[in-house]
Amino acid sequence: MVKESRMGDTDEEKVLVLQSRKGDPATFESLVRTHQRMIHSLTFRMTGSLADAEDLAQEAFIRAYRQLDSYQGTAKFSSWLYRIAVNACLNWQQRENRRERMHANWAESNDALRPESEPLAGEDAPGRQVQAALMKLPAKQRAAIVLTVYDGHNHAAAAKILGCPETTVSWRVFAARRKLKRLLSAKGGQNE
Amino acid sequence: MNDSDLEKKLKAVQVPSRREDYWESFPRLVSAELRATPARRPADDPNWLPPLAWGGSIAFACLLIGFAIGHWHGRMEKSDPYALLQNGKVLHEVLTLFPNRVRAIVQDEHGMQLVLADQPDVPASTPIYVHICDGKQCSSLVTFSGQELEIAGQKVTILAEAQGGVIVVGSRFAWSSDRPGELRGGLKIEATSLNSINL
Repeated sequence: MVKESRMGDTDEEKVLVLQSRKGDPATFESLVRTHQRMIHSLTFRMTGSLADAEDLAQEAFIRAYRQLDSYQGTAKFSSWLYRIAVNACLNWQQRENRRERMHANWAESNDALRPESEPLAGEDAPGRQVQAALMKLPAKQRAAIVLTVYDGHNHAAAAKILGCPETTVSWRVFAARRKLKRLLSAKGGQNE
Repeated sequence: MNDSDLEKKLKAVQVPSRREDYWESFPRLVSAELRATPARRPADDPNWLPPLAWGGSIAFACLLIGFAIGHWHGRMEKSDPYALLQNGKVLHEVLTLFPNRVRAIVQDEHGMQLVLADQPDVPASTPIYVHICDGKQCSSLVTFSGQELEIAGQKVTILAEAQGGVIVVGSRFAWSSDRPGELRGGLKIEATSLNSINL
């Protein structure tokens, strides 16, 4: 799944990064090909929507290309890219929250029913239930769970990616687990 | 529910799979988006940033061109001193850095220089290679149809013909690649469409 693309930087990858830095989108395609599954996996876990996951994955790669000059080469390229994607997801969540607030205000003032949001994608009912529970977490807690549970980062590595202290990650993971247990233990999992 | 149960439940959920052709096309989609959208700064940057970014970009381009010249110089020197201008990779790199802004890349006795438009309004088209000598000095450049430039002391307009030919029009002359020959005042022109370069 995700692990196949979490690789150490090979010499070939370093060369690709250097060439891409010179402004060659064609070379950057190879880097996208290497890491696209890892990034899509992250963006799907963070959004619960295949369409949003695709948009965010694209946004993350475009941001990465434009920030290549700032990549120092001290960390793995995959970690650096992952951090950009996480930030893109957190920004997306802020935009979504604003949009939902506006939508709610509009619906209230027009005495209208709020339309159903896009159904969560998933291959089976339990999958949808878990994804729905993840989506009920605050975005930063969700990111902490995705990084530590799904992508196997320890708290220290997750803290580096998220740009916060390790203790903050530990707290977010703890709070997220507590909420997930409650949500997934409840009958139907989405009753809260 | 204990921690272990939660872990199992979470990990049992797979990301929905996508078709293989999606993974094939996605990198191309990103690449196309990068080519289509102007690079670098968002519109809401503070006012002082665009000139800074612009200056930085030009400095970077000069470095890149310098590197490219250094890299290829040895090989090109013995054959054609202007061959660098017809090198697809170099052209591609320069045009990617300044999408729709490159009016010409000129090489003369002073070295290589970029002629950039103020706005990104240079239409994408097949590049044209032009070499002009006026008896004292020679200049070579790569440009695009419709560009008006000053080369070797002459103000000229470069035009591409539908059949692939090139017309160079100056204030006192008109030259066509279909009927090449020496012009008045010892002016010599060579020009060709770089159809083989896929930009």
